Amino acid sequence: MKLAVASAGVVVAVMLMLVQLGIREGAMDGSVSFVRKIQSDLCLISPRTKTIFQSTALPRRLLYRLLADPDVERVQELYLGQARWRNPWTYQEWPISIYGLDPEHCLVDLKGYAGYSSLLHQRDRAVFDQLSRDTYGPVVETVARNGFMETEVNRRLVRVVGSIRGGVSITTDGNLYLTPENFLRVLPERNPGGIDVGLIKLKPGADPQTVRDRLAPLLGGEAIIMSRQELVDAEVRFVREVTPIDFIFGMGAMVGFFIGFVVVYQILYTEVTNHLPQFATLKAMGFTNRYLLQVVISQAFMLSILGYFPGFFLAIWLYGVAERAIQMEFSMTVARALLVFGFTLLMCGLSGAIAVRKAQSADPADVF
Amino acid sequence: MSSPPTEANQTPDSPSVIRGRNMNFWFGTGELRKQILYDISIDVAAGEIVLLTGPSGSGKTTLLSLLGGLRHLMDGELVVLSHCMHRASADELVLVRREIGFIFQQHNLLEFLTARQNVELMLQLQPAVSADERRRRAESVLTDVGLADRLDYHPAKLSGGQKQRVAVARALVGGPRLILADEPTAALDSQSGRDVANLLQRLARTNGCPVLMVTHDSRILDIADRVIEMEDGRISAA
Repeated sequence: MKLAVASAGVVVAVMLMLVQLGIREGAMDGSVSFVRKIQSDLCLISPRTKTIFQSTALPRRLLYRLLADPDVERVQELYLGQARWRNPWTYQEWPISIYGLDPEHCLVDLKGYAGYSSLLHQRDRAVFDQLSRDTYGPVVETVARNGFMETEVNRRLVRVVGSIRGGVSITTDGNLYLTPENFLRVLPERNPGGIDVGLIKLKPGADPQTVRDRLAPLLGGEAIIMSRQELVDAEVRFVREVTPIDFIFGMGAMVGFFIGFVVVYQILYTEVTNHLPQFATLKAMGFTNRYLLQVVISQAFMLSILGYFPGFFLAIWLYGVAERAIQMEFSMTVARALLVFGFTLLMCGLSGAIAVRKAQSADPADVF
Repeated sequence: MSSPPTEANQTPDSPSVIRGRNMNFWFGTGELRKQILYDISIDVAAGEIVLLTGPSGSGKTTLLSLLGGLRHLMDGELVVLSHCMHRASADELVLVRREIGFIFQQHNLLEFLTARQNVELMLQLQPAVSADERRRRAESVLTDVGLADRLDYHPAKLSGGQKQRVAVARALVGGPRLILADEPTAALDSQSGRDVANLLQRLARTNGCPVLMVTHDSRILDIADRVIEMEDGRISAA
């Protein structure tokens, strides 16, 4: 019974750490999941752009000029923007992210997007993201039933002809994918000559690094060229620096650590105090303080093992709850499981090391 | 008031296990300083059973804890098992304690260990003893104290006399060169107390291991070779 209560404290700490770190990573992954789907070897962005979701446009002609290089197979423009979607069931308008991207030979890995190619090339057609939040209305069901669904996007009548699985994040609640032509119809104030990202596919066998170094000096001050990985890294860095994800959830995990630390310390301290005569007896018989440390630390480790596994499964269950509640994906990774296990051992070991000072203060002369 | 030093009673060739001279001890410092022991000199030879009696507060237990290396001697001279206890470091005191078998008024057994495990625990202080050897020796000592059929009982399932006998077994299993006991029979009925006393006597005789025992219990005075009486921190009769 006492053991159950004791490990309950560790369970809560483990669960808090896993959930907080899980949400942190999930939020981070969600924010860069679109960038990770980019398949082109090289990317072109404006030197003023910190994140492609709030980008400064770069001249489209620079992208097409790169076609002259013998190693470049083809290029594709990508427009990104925000629009207002009217939920036709509630008549409320909600912001939605829109992507202007040609579905033919698309250089972004959007499963099923190419299949809508012929439909999307008609005027004012769009594909909706299945993972968008419920605030946009029962779009997916309606499209499945009727084959299409019509609503206003930026006060312009748009017909949704299908849905694909993209993914939302803490910065975007829903996504709409269209061809560049339709994108510019929804956002007429955008200059067609200004794209947000240029996607560059190289011929097979070409080394992206070499081509990048060769092309960079030719672009002047209006665009910079980088590899796909560099773009992903830049986005991760941006999310780290600008959003408080790391701080908030890192702090949450730390709170979990300290809760566990205090609980385990209290438990061990009480245990030691209750057994002070026995500890004093052991010392009188010639056991050293080192031996007492081993006894208390092994108790602490037993607590951490007993607490870790229930906490682990509780956290996995909570990931599922959170996924259903906010429609973001959370998954347990081996690295995180091991990291938190390490923290649990540290937490229990540390509190054991402090609690043992009480045991070591036991005066062997008190037993007579 | 104070009696002559006990060395008068010793034959010169008898090897001393304990040899204390002019020991003083006090608790507290400054104005709160309270002297407990005054000018104590004591000798215990190998194979002797010495009882220490006297009224409460006469300093018997304090003296016993000094002899056992549980407290630091402040003034005087004390040699226990050839270790000089005056100004010994804490680590040296631990080494001395390992050679002594202690029996306490309260048995102080670990309640989550069985009788055998409690006894085996002592042998963990001797890393050279293998697990099998530990088990064998614990069983043999428990058999000696008449608990062969209680090896795997937890202390909660044992009577007061049986627990005290486990404590005796624990004190003996390591092969101590000296046994210090503090009222080992006080919490026992007359028959159990008698059993424990006889046990100690038999073991002292067979192993040649001296026993120094604090006791109020007049029922067991007969096992003693010598009785030392204390009063007000001084040895009043020896």
